[in-house]
Parts: sequence; C-alpha cells; structure tokens
Amino acid sequence: MSIRLKFDYRKFPADRSEAFPRRQSATRPVIPVTLINGDRKVTNLAIIDSGADLCIFHAEIGEQIGIDIESGKVQTFSGITREQLTAYFHNIKIGIGGHEYDCYAGFSRDLANMPYGLLGQVGFFDLFNIVFDYNKERIKLISKDNE
Amino acid sequence: MVENTDLRKVLKGYSNKWIALSADSSKVVGVADNPKGALEQAHSNKEANPILTKTPEHYGTFIL
Repeated sequence: MSIRLKFDYRKFPADRSEAFPRRQSATRPVIPVTLINGDRKVTNLAIIDSGADLCIFHAEIGEQIGIDIESGKVQTFSGITREQLTAYFHNIKIGIGGHEYDCYAGFSRDLANMPYGLLGQVGFFDLFNIVFDYNKERIKLISKDNE
Repeated sequence: MVENTDLRKVLKGYSNKWIALSADSSKVVGVADNPKGALEQAHSNKEANPILTKTPEHYGTFIL
C-alpha cells in the first residue's frame, strides 16, 4: 500500500528588491528530513527541487551523523552559474514523515549560502509521486512502493 | 503536535548561522556557526528532536 504524506509549504524571510518592492516572504516546498547513518541521526530542512538531479546535503550535517565525507564517491555538479562544485556520495537512510528510505546522498562543502539540503530526482523523486499546490501551500508525497 | 511552518519571525535577524529549531518549529533553541554547536544548545535547552537549518547571509531569492 502506498504511503501518503502531506506537508505545508514553509514561509521564510525575504528581502525586498527593486523588482519586488513589497516582498516580505518566500514560500518554498521545504520539509524536514532526517538523515540516518546507523544509530546516528539528525533532522534538517530540505527543499524539494525538481531541477536537482541528485540529493545533496551540507557536509557539516553529514559529519554530524558520523560520515567521513571525503571518503565517498566524488561527483561534480553545477547550478545556474559556471562554478563547478563537488559532492561526496554515501549510502544513508532518510526519514520522511516517520518512514525510512535508502538514499544514495551527496554531501558537499560548497553549499555555503544554501539554507537547505536538496531533494532531487535520484534518491527522492524516484521514491515518490509529488504534487505541488502552491496556491494551497500544500505538498503531497505518494510513495511508489507498489508500482 | 501542530507544526509552525511560518518561519518569517522565527528566523528573522539571523544571518549566516546554523539554527536549531524546536520540534514544532515554533522557536529557536540553538544558534551557532556549525550544526554541532546549534545541536548542543538545543539539547541543553531540553529539545530532544531539534530541526536544523542554515540561515543565508542575505534573505534573497533562490533560483535552483
């Protein structure tokens, strides 16, 4: 039986700009995710990012659950800038809504100004069918267990 | 447990810090330059299940 989970979008502070002079907040599909390595775990906020190929978290979070970051498999990646970034991949478990899943996740020291971990296609979107309802500020995750 | 998802007031004023939120995200229970320090403060504040996040230097716009 598929697992169905619901989360609300989260609102964060946002600075005004010339383009958006009335802006007061940013509403983002950010959910709490527990990263699990054996008996060590830590919960942090992660953004559901359909544009991300992979799941990548801050290296400092990985260290907190006892991972030797640089011992992982290397993958370079980039965002919208030309900058090449590096992540090291490890097999961990992720806990979402009280359920645990295997996840081949990257940890990077290059997410300096990114507030959240990234939940991307491999390791997250391959686990769930996802409904984003921005107007209702609601996210639905439906596990693909029985497909 | 009712979870607070409006973090505008809770996170306002913090810049480039690791933040530990209470399990219901209603308040900050730890602030430090690294996750370890934020979690230690959270546990000192008797928060058993803190939620970590990082605040950016500026609350700008993200295009991922």
